[in-house]
Amino acid sequence: MKLGVLSADRPLVWMLPLILMLVAFTIVPLFYNIWLSFHEYAPFKRQLVYVGMENWKAMFGDSRMWESFGITMFYFVVVLSIELVLGMAIAMLLDEDEFGFGLLRSVLTLTLVVPPAIVGMMYLLIEDPEFGVLTYVLSLFGILDKSTPILATASTALWGVMLADVWQWTPFMVLIFLAGLRSLPPEPYEAAMLDGASAWMTFRRITLPLMSKVIAVAVLIRGIDIFRMFDYVFVMTSGGPGTSTYTLSLYSWQQTFSFIKWGYGATLSLFALFVIIVIANLFIWAAKVRW
Amino acid sequence: MATVEYRKVGKSFGSVEVLKDLSLEIEDGAFVVLLGASGCGKTTLLRMTAGLETVTAGEVVIDGRVVNDMHPRDRDIAMVFQNYALYPTMKVRDNIGFSLEVAKKSKAEIARKVEEAARVLNLTEYLDRKPAELSGGQRQRVAMGRAMVRDAKVFLFDEPLSNLDAKLRAHMRVEIRQLHDRLGATTIYVTHDQIEAMTMADKIVLMKGGKIIQEGSPDDLYDRPNSRFVAEFIGSPQINLLDGRIEAEEGAVRFRARHLVLDLPQAYAAHAGKAVACGIRPNDVTLDPDGAITGTLQIAEKTGADVQFHLDVEGTEFVAVAPRSAYRHGGERMSFAIDPEKLHVFDEASGERISV
Repeated sequence: MKLGVLSADRPLVWMLPLILMLVAFTIVPLFYNIWLSFHEYAPFKRQLVYVGMENWKAMFGDSRMWESFGITMFYFVVVLSIELVLGMAIAMLLDEDEFGFGLLRSVLTLTLVVPPAIVGMMYLLIEDPEFGVLTYVLSLFGILDKSTPILATASTALWGVMLADVWQWTPFMVLIFLAGLRSLPPEPYEAAMLDGASAWMTFRRITLPLMSKVIAVAVLIRGIDIFRMFDYVFVMTSGGPGTSTYTLSLYSWQQTFSFIKWGYGATLSLFALFVIIVIANLFIWAAKVRW
Repeated sequence: MATVEYRKVGKSFGSVEVLKDLSLEIEDGAFVVLLGASGCGKTTLLRMTAGLETVTAGEVVIDGRVVNDMHPRDRDIAMVFQNYALYPTMKVRDNIGFSLEVAKKSKAEIARKVEEAARVLNLTEYLDRKPAELSGGQRQRVAMGRAMVRDAKVFLFDEPLSNLDAKLRAHMRVEIRQLHDRLGATTIYVTHDQIEAMTMADKIVLMKGGKIIQEGSPDDLYDRPNSRFVAEFIGSPQINLLDGRIEAEEGAVRFRARHLVLDLPQAYAAHAGKAVACGIRPNDVTLDPDGAITGTLQIAEKTGADVQFHLDVEGTEFVAVAPRSAYRHGGERMSFAIDPEKLHVFDEASGERISV
């Protein structure tokens, strides 16, 4: 059969649609962003003017940037750790062939199909001081005073947002870990039993090393996602109270779209991109992930 | 070291009954081989001993204690798996030493025992490699080493040599038997290879369909197989079986298969008229121009010191082993003689040995 330009030995033709999309929606915006970071919008002239390194200099001296960077890092470390540990624990519990476990595993995917903004709305209600379920339960146990609104109190607001993230994305970790766990060979576990290893020892010396690649990939995917988290804070707290939940992505959004500082917003987003590239590559190197 | 006893043990997977009412006693320090074709339940029995399968009926007793509900880690058993079951992410050193590490032995003691085992198994230069970097034979030896460093009560081997080439298999047979003789631990060894069973066992337990068909020393099973099945299973080349009838006339007892007539010991007189299968081991016959077993030579195979003659005797294939010097080409008529005492006679209907 003659396919002409569509024959298999002309890979470029087949790759063209993807290349075009990548160029249009990723490469061009990236370079435009870099170009933007050396310019700023002048409202009176109604045009972008060249400002050189001004945006970059301003950013490194911007205390609000450092504050939001700190909040982002804190959120990143806490949420990633919780999702990792909880995800592994639940995955191990669900790694059974007993009746009903298949159903439980498929139910897990449900949280993943809800748009994050909707989850944010849900938790806004759950954590509402007047009628929120969580507020009610916590006050029953005396953990929280009913007059303390979770999302409007500086010390608890970020934790309230984290809860939504953990609820929605822990199942994602569970699914990835389950896929890994269920493909592990049974023999080393039998050998370990006969060698007298305890459950903890077996987990630490056999499961964890065998799962390291799977864990690394899960951490990488979730890590990048968590670092650029925007939806939850936008919907639930808008960065408040005060600036206590202002993440880096929310801050760059605010600078760009509320304050119409196109250039400074671009600079902030480039900085976030730079940080995540460094962290991700350090991690890939340290965890010896091979693609 | 310990005794192992199975009391009316049964095992079912759903509606499939794999083992039925099996009873067996294994003495302290014995090397017992569970022999049988695949699917006979031998591996299941081994795994039940280790605690890797539940016992659905009866009792498994180790050292006088019923262990049915005991966790594998508390049974003090070392096992070598068919596919080795090495820890893929650990170096050879840690694979071998893992049980010691679990037992919280000192670093020095672990190192000493691991190196000792590695020396015996010729693994010293591979201690810092991962299992994936080893050949099949080396992995097998790591699995052995892992069992060796244990001071286990019972050693279990699940077809440990089935993935090795013939030469290495012969070598490892000797190694395993030597290991057993040195440690003196009770050993249960599962295989489908009768040569492994014959060469290594103190006692062979031949199984079929979840039941024990015959147990005894290799010599017992070879010399006095209790059934046609055992006779065919044990011995290489396989035993010849000729279908015929016992006849008693003029004071002589004979086996007759059409034109073939063999003298039988007098004691078989009581079974005159019975339809039987007469078993003749290829190694028990001698080349003799006046011999009673006569047939046409189909093919002669040289096996080194010996030659195997494949004959057509009364329409049945018959194998005879003779020294190399007797070699000749196909097409000839050949005759072999046999000592009547070496004939095995089985009831045609039941397949059981007719003992006299």
